[in-house]
Amino acid sequence: MSTQDPSSSSPSKGTKRRRDEEEAAAADDAETAASESLEQSLTFSDTLVALRMMRAQFPHIDKVSIRPFVLRSQLYSSVVDRTQVDRELESLRRTKVLRIFKLNTGQDDHAIMFLDDYLNQIERAVKRMEEKNVHDLEVFEWFKIHVIDTRLEPNISHQDLCSLLSLGGKVKDNQISVLINGGVIIRQLIDPSMYWFAIPNVGSMLKGLSQGRKELLSLLSRRRYKEMLLASLEKKRLRLSPLDMRFHLRDLIGSGHLKTIKTPTGLVVRISKE
Amino acid sequence: MWKEIEKRESGRVRPRSFANRVKSSRVASLQLSNHKDIVSPHKGSVNSLQVDLTEGRYLLSGASDASAAVYDVQQPQKLEGGGLIAKHKPIFVIDKQHEHRHKYAISSAIWYPIDTGLFVTGSYDHYIKVWDTNSTQAVMNFKMPGKVYSTSMSSLATSHMLIAAGTEDVQVRLCDIASGAFAHTLSGHRDGVMTVQWSNSSEYVLVTGGCDGAIRFWDIRRAGCFRVLDQSHSQLGRRPPLLERSAMTKVFVSCVVTCICILGSTSRSSSGGQNMSKATAVSRKSSHGNGAKHSGSNRISAKGSIKHRLHPGMLSSQDRATAHYGAVTGLKISEDGMYLFSAGSDSRLRLWDIESGCNTLVNFETVRLQTNKPIQLSVSEDSALVFVPCMTVVKAFDFWSGKTYFTFRGHYEYVNCCCYSALDQELYTGGNDRQILVWSPFISYEADEGTTRNEDSWSD
Repeated sequence: MSTQDPSSSSPSKGTKRRRDEEEAAAADDAETAASESLEQSLTFSDTLVALRMMRAQFPHIDKVSIRPFVLRSQLYSSVVDRTQVDRELESLRRTKVLRIFKLNTGQDDHAIMFLDDYLNQIERAVKRMEEKNVHDLEVFEWFKIHVIDTRLEPNISHQDLCSLLSLGGKVKDNQISVLINGGVIIRQLIDPSMYWFAIPNVGSMLKGLSQGRKELLSLLSRRRYKEMLLASLEKKRLRLSPLDMRFHLRDLIGSGHLKTIKTPTGLVVRISKE
Repeated sequence: MWKEIEKRESGRVRPRSFANRVKSSRVASLQLSNHKDIVSPHKGSVNSLQVDLTEGRYLLSGASDASAAVYDVQQPQKLEGGGLIAKHKPIFVIDKQHEHRHKYAISSAIWYPIDTGLFVTGSYDHYIKVWDTNSTQAVMNFKMPGKVYSTSMSSLATSHMLIAAGTEDVQVRLCDIASGAFAHTLSGHRDGVMTVQWSNSSEYVLVTGGCDGAIRFWDIRRAGCFRVLDQSHSQLGRRPPLLERSAMTKVFVSCVVTCICILGSTSRSSSGGQNMSKATAVSRKSSHGNGAKHSGSNRISAKGSIKHRLHPGMLSSQDRATAHYGAVTGLKISEDGMYLFSAGSDSRLRLWDIESGCNTLVNFETVRLQTNKPIQLSVSEDSALVFVPCMTVVKAFDFWSGKTYFTFRGHYEYVNCCCYSALDQELYTGGNDRQILVWSPFISYEADEGTTRNEDSWSD
């Protein structure tokens, strides 16, 4: 495994290559990471490295302020051994480095966010609600201190939520609705007494995610042989999604809808049939 | 090959490891058989296949046109292609003209585990019939409250002859062949039960997977299930190392489960979404279950949220943990009885450690799985490979790393069932295209060589 000098990351001629990275160089790499093509940084050796790189590559969107999150399928496309990804995610989750959220955009979608990003996001949501003069905002503080610290799973039952929040103070029913309005918890459809944890203000992102997926798949399926060179595909912009092409490509490759094939002229992305 | 035999003869290679080596090299060369063919009389999709457990000679298949057939997979009826291709026609077929026929599709056909004199078929017409193989007559009929999705009999059973049936109804029913009546029902699932499997280690333990996504373990001698598998409980590896167990405990929530303090028996705590029942299921490990549960039930009735007193064995019905985000469509216990493999309609395959009840987080790469029908999975001997029907192909995954080792492409439509015969290292698969395909280790045919014929009869 060759270690790359971060300051001299010149673009290669389109071959996939693995990069070993130290943490000190992570900040330096933020700019270079953002400008790298997908072909160069498709696979990584380690889950944490992959997470950091993808977080750095998260597209900057002007209208909605949202902290970077990574989808699980993106990790699957970046690290070769999926079992290793699952296990490392599990140990990172247990040590409270990151949180995993279940999304409602499809079968088995999970979003992964670093814990400090998540707390940051909650604070922004609280500030926005303060501007709209919503009261009872101390419930978010209780939520941050008691619930997030102890409940590491993506879901929580109503009883547990109330009991944990009451460790902070007296809980009223409308405070739970304040939490739901803030977007930190969502009621489950199948089970009315269970809630999913959620990322506040992520709604437009999720809509963009599912529409972008559909658009990308239809773009490729309209072509005669249902495939396209990765380099030229990356340059296209998606009309319906605020997230960039690289994000969607990683996601679809990881969930198995697309597959990459090595050809002499570079990587080709094709729709997989099964 | 001769060198290997010589080594075994001289004792440098142990006989067991020699046999395993030959078997695994045969499995590695599995492909669509070029010398064996099963002629399928079915006019509907093949839903269930099973090779009999005593001799490994007879294959039983059940199909959607209410027909069931038995084939002899070792002796062909006819040899074609200059004696090279063996055609296996069914020994008998039970079809729509039969007087005791099923009215709708047969979803599951299994042999009586003790001998091949009886077999059991379960069908969407709400009946389970027990047939006598020699006279091809249905000798017993059990009426179920809903469509029968799956039936199973325990191969270890010496004291009972129960057929476990999973139907559209939420209760799992046990039918007794000896008495011709229902033994008892197991309740706890919230939706229909798609798959049932008896345990390979105990004749009284039954595993069921339901449309609500839960996998429950039942001891049929007691009421209620003793374990519900939860996908958020996971362990990193084959066995949880002793230190890891303490890492798995979550912070205790006192006001929800004050009962546990009173029980004081376990250091494991319940996690979000769980309640008393899970804790008692957990405490069963450290202390014998019944005592703990009884003292717990008194406290439970004091809790405001549960309105009525529950029998301590029925506490598990409150447990809503799910093993999959969709329905559980396939279950298979490994040969050593220690691990459980489950397939769900969320297109995930999970491997569970039965002893600890945790998800081992092995990732099996699948894109889509069939969601509306139960699928039949199969495990090779010594549990090295698991065969899973994924849409139109059958994939063989390595049990521990989750990598796809082989992909068997041959069916024209969705594959419903697969059955691995450990005796001959052959795989039989049946699908919606009404065909039963045989996948066998590759044997090369050179037309003029007589030695290939020798090899063929020797390897039998």
